[in-house]
Amino acid sequence: MSLRQTAFLTLLAAGLLTLPLWIARVGLYQYLGIEILVWGLYALSFNLLLGYTGLPSFGHGAYFGVGAYAFGLLQKHVGANLWLDLGGAVLAAALCGALVAAFISHRRGIYYALMTIAFGQIVWFVAIKWHSVTGGEDGLLNLKRVPADFGFTSISLADNVSLYYFVLAICCLAVWLLWRIVHSPFGRVIQAIRQNETRAAFIGYHVWFYKWLAFVVSAGLSGLAGALFALAQLGAFPDVMSLHASGFVVMMTLIGGGLVSFWGPLIGAAVFFVARDALGALTSTWPLWYGVMFMAVVLLEPEGIAGLWQARRGRAAPPIAAQAGD
Amino acid sequence: MGLVTDLLPHLVNGVSLGLLFALIALGFMLILGVMEVINLAHGSLFALGAYLALTLLTPKSGPGAAAIAWYAALPPGTRFALALIIAPLLVGLFGMLIELCLRRTYGKDPLYGLLFTFGAALVIEELIRVLWGTRDYVLPVPPQISGGLLIEGMIYGKYRFFAAGFALAMIALLWLFIERTPYGAIIKAGAHDSEIVRALGINLPRLRMLVFALGAGLAAIAGIVIAPIWGIRPHVGVDAVVPAFLIIVLGGVGSFWGAVLASVLVGLAVGLTGAYASEWSLLSMYLLLIAVVTFRARGLFGKKSVLEA
Repeated sequence: MSLRQTAFLTLLAAGLLTLPLWIARVGLYQYLGIEILVWGLYALSFNLLLGYTGLPSFGHGAYFGVGAYAFGLLQKHVGANLWLDLGGAVLAAALCGALVAAFISHRRGIYYALMTIAFGQIVWFVAIKWHSVTGGEDGLLNLKRVPADFGFTSISLADNVSLYYFVLAICCLAVWLLWRIVHSPFGRVIQAIRQNETRAAFIGYHVWFYKWLAFVVSAGLSGLAGALFALAQLGAFPDVMSLHASGFVVMMTLIGGGLVSFWGPLIGAAVFFVARDALGALTSTWPLWYGVMFMAVVLLEPEGIAGLWQARRGRAAPPIAAQAGD
Repeated sequence: MGLVTDLLPHLVNGVSLGLLFALIALGFMLILGVMEVINLAHGSLFALGAYLALTLLTPKSGPGAAAIAWYAALPPGTRFALALIIAPLLVGLFGMLIELCLRRTYGKDPLYGLLFTFGAALVIEELIRVLWGTRDYVLPVPPQISGGLLIEGMIYGKYRFFAAGFALAMIALLWLFIERTPYGAIIKAGAHDSEIVRALGINLPRLRMLVFALGAGLAAIAGIVIAPIWGIRPHVGVDAVVPAFLIIVLGGVGSFWGAVLASVLVGLAVGLTGAYASEWSLLSMYLLLIAVVTFRARGLFGKKSVLEA
């Protein structure tokens, strides 16, 4: 690991660990930290597909939502055990992802995007219409923040600061896992697929299976983020599955610079929520200005904040594949 | 006999709904097929057309009161026809603006075009909220085409027939334009081999701009024609753009008749399930999609497309 990366990670860790101490002083609030972490994890796992495998999944809210609903349903009907509910949520989202990926993994490009949108809409539609299970448009209400039971001790997650640290711990684990995945032989293969799928297939890799597996992992971790979001929100709501919400995660990933950096999506999530609150304080039409900003990023700096940073450091932004070795 | 008379209204309903879906999908298909851009702003342009027509049909007093009074005195049928021309033209201009910005993304990953239009959709939807508010509106329909028709003891809305006929006419016109005019030939050639088309001295950037404007205008036309049936809300665009996606995937990217056939199939599926399980009627189109792509990966008439690379 280079010195620059060590410095970045140290700063990031210090910033995230001390966040509850200063976030209220700068005019923001504790819950925002949880939102940024959850959506950051979601965007990071989404980027496994977009940035690393080169697959534009435009209906990813479905898996985030399935995680949230599975968490809520397990808590209500099976048992209010945090580990069971979180694990079940990951499993449900991964299964849903596995099913969808089986239909679409032989596609690529824009066609892939169209198919993921269609499947995302199916899940969203079921969530809205299946009243008896999902609560329809109102969603699943009155979920509880059950304490995290470690056997020898049990920690209450009722207040936002302790929940923040719990979410931070889970996110660290998940992000470490993602980091290992993208730097593993599997990670190399999916990056090869992004660069040239045909060539990867000719070398002898079973491209379909790699694309399928990347989707399953991404969906499962998105489901984990969704479950954490349900825990934080005390409910699971269908709006996270809408086309718009699925678009937001793409926005975060792109604005942060997910195409050129592992950490880009996390930065993008932070920018998204701070921008929402900052613009929201100034004007009630913040999506308008955020949309304009996003259009400008796509046109002028599609490599996002991380791309700007890399360019400032005087080198052409290396594609993700080139920096995988360190 | 009994079954036929029971089913007939639902079949009529399904086919007319399918034609409306086809009308929505036309502009989307044109932009996707020719420019290889997934225009996520399609639904917003659809809504924008409907809102502009609303403003044109229900003029309020303001500057130029005399002109407005003269305009308001026109018969409603004429005003409806005028709105059907003026609003798509305005939306077409808006489409040109989008295309002008979109130029920077040509030759890059097609993802950027999709993302840019997503941003545009967000902006248009919010603009609509600012200009017209969030309440629901109903687009007034001229008396000639409103009311009901009594056929064999069943009542059909006259406007539905008008809308379905209009959709049929638009499908035919677009097909004639693309397949039977030199402009259509140039557009298709531009999609196929832009280098040669440019070498032949054709102004390709202008052509692409006009195609985008045409696609946006078609979205607006669909928005206006469908508004009296679905009502006008800021998020009506999402209701419109999702069937358009489905239909294109179902019919196969790049296939005109595939899309039209898919629209009618989707309309029939929605119409028939609507008769027996109305709550789930919209799900049937998704199930239809899954069933088709399981067996025919490129949709009904899809060919291998450049978009897959």
